[in-house]
Amino acid sequence: MHFEVLSRNTSTPCSDVARARSPIRQSCAQPFFLSLDLKMAAGTLYTYPENWRAFKAQIAAQYSGAHLKVASTPPAFTFGQTNRTPAFLSNFPLGKVPAFQGDDGFCLFESNAIAHYLSNDALRGSTPQASAQVLQWVSFADSEIIPPASAWVFPTLGIMQYNKQATEQAKEEVKRVLAVLNQHLNTRTFLVGERVSLADITVVCSLLWLYKQVLEPAFREPYPNVTRWFVTCINQPQFKAVLGEVKLCDKMAQFDARKFAEMQPKKDAPPKKEKGSKEGGKQQEKKEKKEKKEDKKASAPAPEEEMDECEAALAAEPKTKDPFAHLPKSTFVLDEFKRKYSNEDTLTVALPHFWEHFDREGFSIWYGEYRFPDELTMTFMSCNLITGMFQRLDKLRKNAFASVILFGSNNDSSISGIWVFRGQDLAFTLCEDWQIDYESYNWRKLDVDSEECKTMVKEYFAWEGEFKHVGKPFNQGKIFK
Amino acid sequence: MALRELSSLEKSLGLKKPNKYSTQGDKKVPVLQSNNGPSLTGLVTIATHLVREANRPELLGSTAEQRAVVQQWLEYRVTKLDNCPKEEIKTILQDLNQYLEDKVYMAGDTFTLADTLMYYGIHRIMVDLAVQEKEKHANVSRWFDHVQHYPGVRHHLPLLVVLRNRLYTSGHH
Ligand SMILES: N[C@@H](CCC(=O)N[C@@H](CS)C(=O)NCC(=O)O)C(=O)O
Repeated sequence: MHFEVLSRNTSTPCSDVARARSPIRQSCAQPFFLSLDLKMAAGTLYTYPENWRAFKAQIAAQYSGAHLKVASTPPAFTFGQTNRTPAFLSNFPLGKVPAFQGDDGFCLFESNAIAHYLSNDALRGSTPQASAQVLQWVSFADSEIIPPASAWVFPTLGIMQYNKQATEQAKEEVKRVLAVLNQHLNTRTFLVGERVSLADITVVCSLLWLYKQVLEPAFREPYPNVTRWFVTCINQPQFKAVLGEVKLCDKMAQFDARKFAEMQPKKDAPPKKEKGSKEGGKQQEKKEKKEKKEDKKASAPAPEEEMDECEAALAAEPKTKDPFAHLPKSTFVLDEFKRKYSNEDTLTVALPHFWEHFDREGFSIWYGEYRFPDELTMTFMSCNLITGMFQRLDKLRKNAFASVILFGSNNDSSISGIWVFRGQDLAFTLCEDWQIDYESYNWRKLDVDSEECKTMVKEYFAWEGEFKHVGKPFNQGKIFK
Repeated sequence: MALRELSSLEKSLGLKKPNKYSTQGDKKVPVLQSNNGPSLTGLVTIATHLVREANRPELLGSTAEQRAVVQQWLEYRVTKLDNCPKEEIKTILQDLNQYLEDKVYMAGDTFTLADTLMYYGIHRIMVDLAVQEKEKHANVSRWFDHVQHYPGVRHHLPLLVVLRNRLYTSGHH
């Protein structure tokens, strides 16, 4: 659904306006001539934030001047949601990211293909030899670097069980790969030719995690040419624009058992056993993956997906603290109520369920009223105001439920709603991201035992009743769930 | 020598109309004749001026630190490299080779005027180096090869062959 919103934006005639407003970062390179502009690739890259595979395409675009918008955060793109929508899957059948859609509709998946498409001839290698060498290093990165790099780094990020043998073997394989690169770079400044190419971009991005997590100074000491080249690359303005400041590892990260435990699905699954010792890193990895899948099937309900390194990436990000973490467990299961509300009759099933299970300690009920009703004009615009707010509050969904109603008609309307929040405080103040719309409403906490509260909950949830305090007829309602 | 160098620099900077130069004294210090301003003397002064004229300030360094290092090598070029006696060449190459072990460019992580002028200055030394010597100073050779291939830099100087695969020594680390 978000996906659809976005594609509509980018194809509107006044797309510049849409783009300027959309929460999408745009690469700043501007071509000088329109004729050039027409030939240059332009489009949107879907990815989760800080994805090293996406970096390849983003850096290539920095060099070529391709207009690349990155859709990595809601509402434009929500990893695990947007890439499951039928609209997305019809363009990208694997549902994996990064995925690219050109402004002309051209679609690509597989990060290397996307980076290739967004490159210029100089990056792709401008002679048959050079372009073949670029392909050589791109393949080298995928088949020689990534498997041992993952086997070594993932456990340090807490997303894979540590296995001494597998880690040691991965280290050896990484050494071999670094030795090959070091030898090659002894007499060369960049991997192919005398300039940065897609080979450098790809191999640098594939080594990113290693350099950030585990290649401590002593370990990388025998490979000075690799580090010289790596540091030079990441400090080129075009790399920097995408990667930001990359800090090379000071001390080799080790397996973090606690983190690993935290990352596991909450079920009290028995800890994974140490795996067969003779297996190589790659097989090891495959097996882990397979078992992971089976695990998930077995402990069904959580529709959590397999994320592998995506998880790694997210895990390595400074975790935004769960603002509700401090609250004691509640007996009121919001999701269960939401299911009842969606699937069954409101007055006879959902509402009784609500009052029977509502936990007044763990939750609070709020009345919110839009402060600027005089500014509301066309009702469809007012509706967008509500859905826009819902989208911005996306991350709050697990901890809130609301019914917000538009009353009246064009140029004579008002908006108000009933919100159920986890905790006793207005959740908006808990997180900076949530404060955007908060100030446009007047908020009043309702006394759960009051008649007023009972009536309002009933009327707003059911979208019918007197709505005495409003004075305008019901127009339409929107549910935040 | 310095005059051809300055004319190459002008071209590599994309300056359209060539300046008028003369030289001064035994050491043939270049002088930039100017129609409207004062004349400028000395390679570094003139080269720096040309870069500014071409509006390429990044070639003088983008941070305070990089700017300082660029100046350092420009100074090194005229005080140490130019007219250095034969017996000092060895030390110069050794020093540079060590300096360039962990660097791609003379100053910072991007190409600057220091690369151009050091390249022009060291070319006469590299021309005379035996293959074996070039291998021995692998970092200098690698840097040199990169700079001579850098778009628009080489101009008046012949391309030197730098071998990628070792013939003699088996690694210097
Ligand atoms: N070979 C692909 C790998 C893409 C990939 O594995 N993407 C993962 C994220 S790291 C993904 O989108 N997974 C989502 C899913 O499988 O549903 C590439 O380089 O683009």
